[in-house]
Amino acid sequence: MSTRVLLHVGTPKTGTSYLQDVLFRNQETLKDAGILYPAERFDSHFLAALDLLRLPWGGLELDAHGLWERTAAAVRAWPGTAIISHEILATASRTQVVRALSSLGHPDVELHVVLSVRDLVRQIPAEWQENVKHRRVFTFHEFLEAIQDPDRAGPIASWFWGVQEIPYILDRWAADLPPERVHLVTVPAPGGPPDLLWERFCEAFGLTDLDLDRASERTNPSLGSPETALLRRINLKANHEVLPLRYRPLVRELLAHQTLSRRSDSPRLTLPPQVHPWAQELAGAWIDEIKARGYHVIGDLDDLVGPPPTQPYVDPDQPAEAEVADAAVDAIRALLRENGRLLGVEEELNSQLEETRQALERSYLRPSYLARERIVRKLDSNRVGQWLLGLYRFGRGRSSRSA
Amino acid sequence: MTDRRAWGWVRHLQQGGTTPWADWTGTAEPQGAVVPGAQQLELVRRLNLAGVPGPRLVARVLAAGAPGRGQPDLELVGAARESRFGPRPVDPATVPDDELLRVAVGILAEDVVARGLPAPPKEGRPRPWRRHYELHGDPELVAPIRAYLVARGRPPGGGNPVHVILATDLGRMLAHVWTARAFGSGLPAWRGWLRTVERHGSLPAPIDPLVAARTRTAHAPTNRIHVVFDRDAVPPLLGVRRLPEPQPELAAEAPDLARRISGVAGLLVPDDQRKALMRRTVRPLLAGEPGRPLSVPEEHHGWLRDHAARITDGLSRAGYAVHGDPAVLAPVRESGVGAPAPRSTLALAIRMMLAAQSGVDTTDEEG
Repeated sequence: MSTRVLLHVGTPKTGTSYLQDVLFRNQETLKDAGILYPAERFDSHFLAALDLLRLPWGGLELDAHGLWERTAAAVRAWPGTAIISHEILATASRTQVVRALSSLGHPDVELHVVLSVRDLVRQIPAEWQENVKHRRVFTFHEFLEAIQDPDRAGPIASWFWGVQEIPYILDRWAADLPPERVHLVTVPAPGGPPDLLWERFCEAFGLTDLDLDRASERTNPSLGSPETALLRRINLKANHEVLPLRYRPLVRELLAHQTLSRRSDSPRLTLPPQVHPWAQELAGAWIDEIKARGYHVIGDLDDLVGPPPTQPYVDPDQPAEAEVADAAVDAIRALLRENGRLLGVEEELNSQLEETRQALERSYLRPSYLARERIVRKLDSNRVGQWLLGLYRFGRGRSSRSA
Repeated sequence: MTDRRAWGWVRHLQQGGTTPWADWTGTAEPQGAVVPGAQQLELVRRLNLAGVPGPRLVARVLAAGAPGRGQPDLELVGAARESRFGPRPVDPATVPDDELLRVAVGILAEDVVARGLPAPPKEGRPRPWRRHYELHGDPELVAPIRAYLVARGRPPGGGNPVHVILATDLGRMLAHVWTARAFGSGLPAWRGWLRTVERHGSLPAPIDPLVAARTRTAHAPTNRIHVVFDRDAVPPLLGVRRLPEPQPELAAEAPDLARRISGVAGLLVPDDQRKALMRRTVRPLLAGEPGRPLSVPEEHHGWLRDHAARITDGLSRAGYAVHGDPAVLAPVRESGVGAPAPRSTLALAIRMMLAAQSGVDTTDEEG
C-alpha cells in the first residue's frame, strides 16, 4: 500500500505535458527517491484516464483497455509516494471520482489532489486552439458564445467548464479531502522567471531536492492567431478525408506542433477586450472561493487574474489573409519535406521488395515448378479441371483454398 | 431536508416507483456520500416505466458514469446545495434523451462483454467440386449469402474464382454500409456521416460496383467479373440452386444503438473482440426489433443519381457482365427513417437492458 498518493488532475495548458515527460523520463531517479511514476509510455496516464472516464478519443482509446486499474494496482503495491498526472482527469464525474479514489486506496492512504491552474484570459484562447488542433471547426466567436451561455448546454461548454472551472473540479475531486491535502499550483503571469512554474511543481510533488533530467522536448506549444485560423480552414476542407489516426501525426504533430508553432512573430491568440471583464469577474469569484475553502496554494492566487487586454486585438475569425497565406506556405513546405522523406522510404521499401521478388522468381524458375504451374493453370481455366484440382486438393488433405 | 427529499426519490425509484422528481415530496435517510446524477435517476425511472428492473440493474445504473463526451452528472433542481459553480441543477424529466442514452450504453456495453460470444457458426466441410467464387458489394446483401454458403461447405476463395458484385439502389446501399460499420468499430451518427460522404464526393468503395469491378480486374479476367442487380442471377453464378431468404432490414434504431455500444465496448475489450461481439452477440439481439429501416433523405438523392449515372455508364463501357438493370442504382423514395430519433433509440436501449438482466433476448429471432 502506498503511503502517499499525489493525484494531479488538471488543468490543461498549464505545463502538464512538460511535467509528465520529465516524470516519465526520470522514473528510475524518482524510484530511488521512493517516488513511483507508473508509466510504460509517455502517455500512459492519458490512456489510463481515457479508461477511467470511458472516453473515446479518435481510436487512441483502443490502447487504454484496463489501464486505469493496472496503474492503480501499481500505486497500491508501491510502498512509498506515487504520482498520477493527467489533465483530462479534471472532467471526471462524481461517480468516476469515487471509483478512481477508491481504486487508489482512499480513504486508507494519504491522498493529495494537485490542480495546476492558469488565468482564464490565457486559458480561453488556448482551449479554443486545442479544440482546433483536435479537428474542430467552430470559430473563436462561436466558442466564446458557447462558453458564456449560462446553461452550458452544448458539448463545447460542458467540456470547457468541466476541465477549467476550478471550484467545480475540486467539488468533485476533493469533496471529502481536508483542504491541506488540496494543492493549487498557479501558472505565473507572463514575463515571470522561466523556471518559476517548474519550481512550483517541484514543491507540489516533493521533487525539489532531486537531480532530474529536464531536457524534455515534449511540450504542447501554442500557435499564433493566423496559424490557428489556417488550421481551422484545413479542418474544414480535410476533416472528412483524413482519418483520426492520421490526423494526429500529420496535422496536429507535423503541421501544428512542428511547423506552425515555430512561427513566433505572428500575432498571438488572445481574449477579445470586451470579454475581459466577464473573465475577470469569474476569476475574482474563484479566488474568493479558493481562499474561503483554505486550500494550499503554491504560487499566487493573483496569477488567476490574468494579463490586461492586448492592443491591438487580432481576431482569428477575420485574420490578415497575407499572414494566413504566409503560414500556409510554411505548411506546404513542411508537407513537401515530409513527402520527400516518405518517398525515400517508399523507394527503399520498393527496392527491398524487388530484391525479395527476384529471389522468389529464381526459386520458381526450376523446370519442375514451371511444369506444375502450367498444368494447374490449364486445369484452372475450365470447370472439369477445377473439379479435378478440388478433388486432388481434397485427397491431399491440404487447405481447400489454393495458395 | 432537500437532500433527504432527493434520497427519498432514490429510494422510491429503487422500489420501482415512477413518480417524476417534480411531483415527489417524500424523504429518506442518505444512502451514500453523493446523490446519483439526474441522468442516472431518470434512466431508472424510465426503466421502471418500461418494466421491472432488478435491484442489481438499478444499483448499476445509479453508480454508472456516463461514457464519452457530454453533460457531467447533473444535480437535482430543488435538492442541490446552492452553488455558484458547476452546471445548473436540473429537473431530470428535462434531461435530453441523448444524455440518458450515454448512461444506458455504458451499462449495455458491460452486458455485452459479460455475455461474451456465442458458439461460432458451423462451417460445412468444403466440397471439392464447389464453384470457386468471391462475393463483393453491399455488405448487408453479401454477408448472409456468404454465411449460408460457408455453412454448406462452399467457402469463398479458390483458384480463378468468379467475382460476384452485388448491388442495389445506392440509397439503400449507403444505409447498409453505415449499418455494417455500426456493428464494427462504430462511427458517427447517420446524418453527419451522410453529409461527410457527400462532401467527400465518392461513394464508400464496397458499394461502388464500378470501383469494385475495376479493383478485381487487376487479379481476374473481365469475363470472371459479374455485377449483379438481380438477386435471382446469383445462384447460377455461384453454382448453387438457391440462396437464403434476404434478411429483414433492421429497424433504424438498431444500428444507431449498436454504434453507441461499440464506442464504449472499445474501451472494455480489445478491438478484434469488440468487432466480434458487435457482429455475433449484439446484432442477433437487435435483429428482430420492430421498426422502419433507415433511408437516405431526399436532399441527398441528387448526388446519388449522379453517381448512379456515372456507374451505369462506366459499366457499359468497361464490358463487365451485368445481370439485371443498372437503373435500380438510382435512389428511390422510401418510407424509412431519415434519422433515428434519440427517443426511439433510448426505448430500444431500455428494452435491451431489461432483457439482459433476465438473460433473454429482446427478440426470439436469431439473426
